[in-house]
Amino acid sequence: MPVEESDFEAILKSLIRHKVDFIVVGGVCAMLHGSSLPTFDIDIVQSRDPDNLKRLENALSELGAYYREHTNKRLIPKAERMTTGGHHLLNTAFGPVDVLGAIANQRDYPALLPHTTEIELEEDVRFRTLDLATLILTKQETGREKDRRMLPILLRIQEEIERR
Amino acid sequence: MENTKERQEEREPHPSGEEPLLPTYSEDGEDLTLIRLMLSLTPIERLRMGQRHANSARRLQNARRRE
Repeated sequence: MPVEESDFEAILKSLIRHKVDFIVVGGVCAMLHGSSLPTFDIDIVQSRDPDNLKRLENALSELGAYYREHTNKRLIPKAERMTTGGHHLLNTAFGPVDVLGAIANQRDYPALLPHTTEIELEEDVRFRTLDLATLILTKQETGREKDRRMLPILLRIQEEIERR
Repeated sequence: MENTKERQEEREPHPSGEEPLLPTYSEDGEDLTLIRLMLSLTPIERLRMGQRHANSARRLQNARRRE
């Protein structure tokens, strides 16, 4: 299924409608904090509570999700496969979604949750994303080239906020 | 090469004829005007702007492939 347009809001609304516990991380998180770097996918860390994974499976099914690494077959994400810290790189009808069991230094949903901020998409439609300080910390810890590229912008955003 | 704009900024008067109150670039070359622009928006406005840019970039990439 080629995706011509990303619709981050449609993905978020589906997750919220299915009452999935998740945290937005990565490029969209950076964007929410003020980064102007483009991103084509949305990265989330999911709660690995079994009931939550079932709700996540239902939301991903609604979004038409499948593993994008397997070009020769369509593998559908299942709750029982999302119980670990592994990374599930998916494509959906609304653009790519990465479901990450854990990020830098094996930080999972319970570890990250105290370091998040709430974003209100619409009235009573809310989700959580990493706070800026934690986003910077995870990018510093990961040390990948793509993360290092984002760091100067995040640090300047932090300085600009402190300057105000 | 990456600091060309910074160096030009140091040498030449601002093209608008008036010097900006705040620096345009950080020492490591980040465009601070873009950061201030994004910070002037709400998080949801930033999300929508990013989404439009992602879609626009994807259309441009597809356009290039069709040539």
